[in-house]
Amino acid sequence: MNSPLYRKKWPLLIFLLPAFAFLAVFLFYPFVQNILNSFLNISGLGTAAAGFNEPWYHDYIKMHSDPNMATALKNSLIMTGATIVFQVGLALLLALLVDRIKLGAKLFRTIYFFPIVISATALGLLFNLIFLYNGGMLNQLFASLFNTAGNLDFKSEKYFLATMLTPVMWQYVGFYFVIFVTGLNNISSEVYEAAELDGAEGLKRTFYITLPLLRNVLCTCLVLGITGALKVFDLPWVMMGEGIPMDKSWLLGTYMYSQAFNRGDVDYASAIAVLIVILGVIFALVSNKLFKQKDY
Amino acid sequence: MKKSIALLLVLLMAAAAFAGCAAEQPAGPQEPAPAPEAPKPAEPEPPKTTTLTVVTSYGGDDGNRQNFQNAVSEYETLTGNKVQDGSATSNEQWKAKVMTDFETGTEPDVLFYFLGNDANPFIEANKVVSLDEIRAAYPDYAGNMKESMLVPSPADGKVYAVPSTGFWESMFVNTKVLSEAGVAVPGADYTWEQFLSDCEKIKAKGLTPVAVSLQEVPHYWFEFTVFNNGNSANHLDIPAAATDATGQKWAKGFEDLKQLYELGYLPKNTLTATDAETVQLMLDNEAAFLIDGSWKVGFFVENAADHLDDYKLSYVPGKGERKATDIIGGISMGYYITRKAWEDPEKRDAAIEFVKHLTSDEVVSRFVTTEVTALKNGAKPAGLNVIQQSAADMCGGVTTLVFPVQDLLSAEARADLFGNVKNIVTGGKTAAEAIDAGLALNK
Repeated sequence: MNSPLYRKKWPLLIFLLPAFAFLAVFLFYPFVQNILNSFLNISGLGTAAAGFNEPWYHDYIKMHSDPNMATALKNSLIMTGATIVFQVGLALLLALLVDRIKLGAKLFRTIYFFPIVISATALGLLFNLIFLYNGGMLNQLFASLFNTAGNLDFKSEKYFLATMLTPVMWQYVGFYFVIFVTGLNNISSEVYEAAELDGAEGLKRTFYITLPLLRNVLCTCLVLGITGALKVFDLPWVMMGEGIPMDKSWLLGTYMYSQAFNRGDVDYASAIAVLIVILGVIFALVSNKLFKQKDY
Repeated sequence: MKKSIALLLVLLMAAAAFAGCAAEQPAGPQEPAPAPEAPKPAEPEPPKTTTLTVVTSYGGDDGNRQNFQNAVSEYETLTGNKVQDGSATSNEQWKAKVMTDFETGTEPDVLFYFLGNDANPFIEANKVVSLDEIRAAYPDYAGNMKESMLVPSPADGKVYAVPSTGFWESMFVNTKVLSEAGVAVPGADYTWEQFLSDCEKIKAKGLTPVAVSLQEVPHYWFEFTVFNNGNSANHLDIPAAATDATGQKWAKGFEDLKQLYELGYLPKNTLTATDAETVQLMLDNEAAFLIDGSWKVGFFVENAADHLDDYKLSYVPGKGERKATDIIGGISMGYYITRKAWEDPEKRDAAIEFVKHLTSDEVVSRFVTTEVTALKNGAKPAGLNVIQQSAADMCGGVTTLVFPVQDLLSAEARADLFGNVKNIVTGGKTAAEAIDAGLALNK
């Protein structure tokens, strides 16, 4: 450590500067500008601001009276809950099951991971065809199996939540699954052997050995899932567009996009973006606190 | 010692890095230097080529993309100039990009863009050149266009763009569905009452009378139902409030649409379906009527090639003062020359020639099948297929062409108004409430 390379700090700065400059231009500057935009009056993308809003915090007041904003917030919270249960939970279950089999483990790993490599837009189109009202896969299946008289509208108020959540859950299960499988591989086989000698087998082994040793990985997945759920946009946008049905399926991400790109209300979209960041920070802090990692 | 080794390594690496940069040496023994050549007679300088940047909406899957590219190639061959084509599909993102280019000073030399309120920001910023200013230097500019069809800007009343082709909105009918329901193909005297009676017959056969997604594209029905409750003279009036005469006219239009929804004449999933899904009902011979624009003709040609004669163009049923043959249409886009190109002596002529070529009778005729044009001599499209011919016949019977009133609203007001159509038809909001909410956003 006495090498001049470590004693002199300026070469480190040279290597850090490009990345810092990149972040400054493409993250910090737009972020600060976005905060400023949320106080300005901008009536279209690419249009110059026509001064400050009257009052300058107008968009933040508007959020409180906007029913679509309440829907978006509620749905984003539902999405967060569903992520914990169905994405992280299901991924953990699948990883535990795959970990216990010898034959076909690689096949299952590939199959479960596969949805991650397909673009969300392609998945959206795929699920649109599955849930399609006229001639969709599910409606054809129901008609042939149960001889149903009419088609089911999977995007109606009755079913839209399941229709929107299912593909999102399905898409990301593989991501957490791979993290869990890696975590499981890091658990020493000696621990299992010792546990087996003590009579811990089957579910006991899972609950008393595997899960406690997987705690840190689980915490990481939960933090990632909770914070990531706020940003979900592409798949719901392709499938549910402008809040289908009856403005019931808005998420914070889709509502922000619609305001900016379809309505041209750039300042309101910026205010929603600020809210998403604030919620993201709060969620990250709370989840980090709740799921604190432990040293073993 | 370490330092000398390090220095040697650095030198070696530098030598390796620059090895590839050495100029190529000819193989074999070095030849003697050639004797000096006799001086050649001076060649005439090639004509100076100018590179124009052009942005249009003839990108992506636009039906006229190939026609545009061919016209650009012809221009390049004729003039020796080059065109940097930045065309893309027209949508809100494309509009935003065009506006951003003007804001940041990277606008193109020639722009094919909308004529209405959408162009106000760059017209107000004096970023494009008016026709009067151009004609002062080039008197024959846009000389082949009907003066009455050169659209003045809502910003200052001056004409800025040379129109290319226009559009119409009317009613496509599926003749197979109509015949199955025992309904005659609507004619030029089609009335709202006849339409309701026909819809009932079609519905009784288990078919869908009207293909429309109220969730995504209620735009065309809004335009015609409002027109049905007014006339061509007052169609372009914007209400100040839902309670004034124009506001009440709009409310009646929405009520007509609500009536169709309540009578079950729209697709069962009209509140959740996309436009593509409801149009598919027409292709699958499950729906009878569709109101859409001239651009939809190409869609049927492409997607129903094997049963194209199942489709015809007719008129949207008339009501009150509006005859069925009074339709929505006009010219919505044209070629602008930016001030940046105009003030560049190298680009001015090139830009003028480009617009002249793209708006010449011959080139415009290639872009047109049945659309409206501003050409004095009219377009002469050739080789029309059955649906295009039907569209041409429909256009031939048009008595009045009125611009869509929705184009005079701001994007936010329009989005809010149409976003509320689903609430109006289901009773979640009254038409008056939706109109007032939309007007409040009309900046």
